[in-house]
This record gives sequence, structure tokens and C-alpha cells, in this order.
Amino acid sequence: MATIDITNLRKEFGDGNERIVAVEDFDLTIQDGEFLVFVGPSGCGKTTTLRCIAGLEDVTEGTIEFDGEDVTDRRARDRDVAMVFQNYALYPHMTVRKNIGFPLRLSTKKSTDEIDDEVEAIASMLGIETLLDQKPRELSGGQQQRVALGRAIIRDPQLFLMDEPLSNLDAKLRSTMRTELQELQTELGVTTAYVTHDQTEAMAMGDRIAVMNDGELQQVGTASEVYRAPENEFVAGFIGSPSINLLTADVDGATLRGPGGFAYEMEDPSLVEGHDRIRVGVRPEDLELDPDGGMPSEVTVVEEMGNENFLYAVMGDIDITARIESVIHPEAGKTVTFGFDEEDLYLFDAETTEAVKTKTGETDVDYDQYVQPSH
Amino acid sequence: MRSDTKKEGLWKFGAYIFLLTITVLVMIPLYWMIVAATIPQSEFFTWPPRLIPGTQWLANFEALQENVNFLRSMGNSVIIAVSYTALSLVLCSMAGFAFAKYEFRFKEPLFYFILATLVLPIQLLIIPLFLLMVQIGWTNSYLAVILPWAANPLGIFLMRQNMKAIPDSLLESARMDGATEFQLYYKIALPTMLPSLAALAIILFLNQWQAFLYPLVILQDPQMYTIPLALADLVGQQRVYFDQIMVATSLAVTPIFIVFLTMQQYFIKGILSGSVKQ
Repeated sequence: MATIDITNLRKEFGDGNERIVAVEDFDLTIQDGEFLVFVGPSGCGKTTTLRCIAGLEDVTEGTIEFDGEDVTDRRARDRDVAMVFQNYALYPHMTVRKNIGFPLRLSTKKSTDEIDDEVEAIASMLGIETLLDQKPRELSGGQQQRVALGRAIIRDPQLFLMDEPLSNLDAKLRSTMRTELQELQTELGVTTAYVTHDQTEAMAMGDRIAVMNDGELQQVGTASEVYRAPENEFVAGFIGSPSINLLTADVDGATLRGPGGFAYEMEDPSLVEGHDRIRVGVRPEDLELDPDGGMPSEVTVVEEMGNENFLYAVMGDIDITARIESVIHPEAGKTVTFGFDEEDLYLFDAETTEAVKTKTGETDVDYDQYVQPSH
Repeated sequence: MRSDTKKEGLWKFGAYIFLLTITVLVMIPLYWMIVAATIPQSEFFTWPPRLIPGTQWLANFEALQENVNFLRSMGNSVIIAVSYTALSLVLCSMAGFAFAKYEFRFKEPLFYFILATLVLPIQLLIIPLFLLMVQIGWTNSYLAVILPWAANPLGIFLMRQNMKAIPDSLLESARMDGATEFQLYYKIALPTMLPSLAALAIILFLNQWQAFLYPLVILQDPQMYTIPLALADLVGQQRVYFDQIMVATSLAVTPIFIVFLTMQQYFIKGILSGSVKQ
């Protein structure tokens, strides 16, 4: 277990004119026992950051500390870190037993019997005790995943690193493994850094989420923080599914005017004072069909999800997505009007993309009345 | 549908007949070699040719042993070919691993330089090598035959190409598990490369087993002769000892069969499968 401090990390690839900056100005502390998820689009530098922490990449600048100890120049094998790779990286010539026991055989002086006992305990914890004498090629994707986890767990490392470990599983198994991983991490209490490009996975799993883009850390916070109070337009756009609706509006006193007849009267115009133009964001789940709303939109497609419908529409040249009740089925080609509450409105500076206003509604509902008294 | 199956069956039948014919054609000289080793030389050129093995094998072998000390030559060949194959496998796989999986200065030029040496004919190298061996006093020694060719460029090329197929994440995973760089090589890379190593072992063994020109220059003492040199001694100006040559060649091919059958078990298809999820 360790606290990880990353200070001013910079990683460049290539040399001379073909230098590519993969990560820059990266500062982050991962607390002891925390489950932190790095999330961002492909090529945003999240895996590179993870590999720098692992010691698989040399850092160009900056320091990495484990519990205050500088490990920046320490080799991967001396960092006491275990990693689960996207493709599991199981040793094909070894049985499951040997795969899981491999780190102990290399790094400890334990006897074969002791190692076997530990392997069996881990395998039983992961539910793979019957597979111990099989080779990786004889296992399914989910079983291979568990073997890779077992190999990481058996070392009882200071830190777990996981590089998109669920991305090769089918949707159902991914969901099961997601829960199992969380339970496992809580049980073991090992500091964990987890990389994914799937924001739903990030929101569901992380104690905190680190959103990255173009090699830079955009925001670190809990799922609720990055969803409700994104620091910039990128975070607002990346977090949330379906994505937030964004448009550019002209500020006309207290009124915001946008493409396709968009008009919104601000209750608190002081928020947009000093802005000629502003970026407006409303999440699909906050849009409501409202004949008096200021968003006339032409319906293009309605996707039925069973419990709700996704309505896709265009307002001028802007695509609009809304989550509506499952009983409402507007026809394609019809014009509907959306409205929203000001507390659900996001505003971003049109130049810097920094947040000017985020959600302001209630975040903490008293649920005591729903809790059963304990006996 | 039915006529398609029938057509396919006919094609298959034709293909088997063709392959069987080729196999028989290839086997005829081998069979003749075994028959010829068991009959006196006087019966070699009779017509129709003799097809049933005779009883002269031991007599032919005794004559061969007396003539060229064949067992000694066979021992020399085994020592040289086995040591050469083992040493070369180690050197080629290590070099191939480095070229495939590490970044270092001048890596590409060095690799192409090694490849370029493949086009040099052996005749070009024999005299400089001979002079070198004379200078260091290694003529008539096993080392002189084994060492100069041990870092085989073809072997390095083959190992490099094959080791490129080892996923980087497999090696990185082992590094994270605490493996040293040398442990990556012998605990991860080598076991996953067994089929390629087996194929290369056969090529290297055969190369050295049948090497003639270079050993002929370096090994002048008949006690150090390898099988090809001993066989050459059986072809005199006055007489060719066909019976003894046939005994010698039939014995000489035996280790090749042994090597091939031993290595065959390692030709396991897709040993890397299951290592990484595609």
C-alpha cells in the first residue's frame, strides 16, 4: 500500500524534429488505498502515464514518488508494482499454476510448496482453482483475465496498475468483472491506478477519476464532481452518456441566442456579464419536452431503450440528444420544443473553454427515511 | 452438390497418387544405399539390379573401418556438429533476441551488416580463416571448425524474425514480475521459441554434418577427419570403394534421422497462442 505522488511529469517520444509529447505538466497524488481511474480518448496519454508509474517508460522530466521515496529512476522490477495488461500477457508455455506463481519464484526465496499453497489460495479466491493445470490457450477470455489478476495479486504489491483490463471481454462479462474488481480492490485495500477509455466504466469504478486529453490532466475528482462540475468543456463533453449537448450562443443582455432559433432567458444574467459569446451545454437527461421552451428541434430518430427513449434531433445545424420517457414517441420530421432548468445549465468561456457555470442543483438528498432500522 | 463431392474426391485421390509416386522416387536411392551396403562390390552392376539386402554388411564395415577409421570420423563429426549446433543456437537466439526486442545505437546498420555477410561465398573466407587458424595454432582442432561459423547470420536472421512475434507486453509483464533481462531471454523468449529453435537446430546440424571444404583445409590429420572427409578418401584414383561408401553413407544419415525425430516433437503449432488476447 502506498501513496503515489507524481510531480511535473513530462514524457516525450522520438528525438529531434519528430518529438512527440505524450504527457506534460502532470501533477497528481493517488492516495493510499485509493482506486483512481485514468480516463480519456485514445492517444490522450493515460497508458503512457501508467507505464511511467510502472517503470516501463523512462520519464523525460518530473518525479514519481511512492510514499515519499523517489522511484523515478528505479527499474520496473524493483518498484514492487503489479500490472494487469490489456491483453493479459500470460506466459503461454506455463500452466495457470506456474503463471500465477511466477512472480514469487522470481522475487522470493519461498519453497515450491509454499508458493503452491499461495497459488491455490489465490486461485480459490478468484474461482479458478480447477484450472490450475491448464495452459492459457485452453482458457476463455474471462478465465485468462482472472489468471492475470491472480498473478498481480499474489505479490501483494504496493500498487496495482491496470491497463484497460476489461476491454477484451464481452459486455456482460465486463459488467460482472467490473464489480468483482471493485470488491477485490476493497478487500485487498491496495492503491490502484486503472486506465480505461470507457467513461461509464470510469464513473462506475473509480473512487476518483482523472480525465486526460492531449497529454494533459484536465480534472481529477469523484464521479459526481466531474459530471456535475466539469472544469472545462472537454470534461463536460467526455463524461456522461449520451454526451452533453453543446452550442455557441450570443449574449444579448440576459438572453442567450443560438442557432436554429435557440433562445434562453437567464434568471441570473450576472453569470454571462462581460461575454459576447458563450458556449452553452445541457445534458440529454436535463432536457424536457416543453412547448414554451427555447429549443425548437426537428426530430430525426427515436431509439427505444425500453425504460426510456433517446431522441435525436437537429436545431439549426446543431445535433441535439435528449433522454425522454419511454411512452413518448415523436415521429421523425416533426418539430418539438425542449426546455431546461437554469440549475442544469452549463456555460463555458467561448475562448478558453473553462467552465463559467456548472450544475447547481441539490447533490445530497437525505435518505434516512429509506433506511431500515438495524436489529 | 453430389458431383462436387465426387470431383473433390477424385482430386484428392489424384493428389495422393502423385505424392506417393514422389515419395517412392525419393526413397529408391535410400533403399538402394541400404541394399548396396550389404552386398559385395562385384554385385553392384549386375542386371537386373539386386533388390534384396545381402549378408555382407559386417564385412563391408570391417573393410571400411580398416581403410579410413570410420568410427573415429563419426565421433569427430558428432562432437563437431553437436557442439556447433548447441553453441550456435545460444549465440543466434541471444543475438536475435537483442535485435528483435532491444533498442541500441547502430542496431539497424549492424543487423544489415550481419545479413550482408550471407552473400559472401565460403571460398572467399577459407584462406583468411586458414591463415588465422595457423597463426593461433588451432589447425587440426575441433575449435577451428566450430568457432568461426558459430554466430551464423542466417540463424540470427531467423531468430530475430521469429522473436519479433513475441508480444512486448509478455516481456514487460515478466519485468514487472521481477525478471532480470537474462531471465526474460531464457524463461520467456526461449521456451516460446521452441519450434523455431528446433527448425534452426536441424539446419545448423545438417550444415555442419555435411561441411566439406572448410574442414578439408583445416583438418589435415586423418585422426581428425569428419565423415565427408573420410568418404572422400574412399574415392581413390585407381579405385572407388562403392561398398564401403554405401556402408559409410547409410551410417552417416542415421544421426540426421535422430536429430530430425528428436526435434520434431517441438514443432508444436502456435505455441504463443493464448499468451495475449487479440
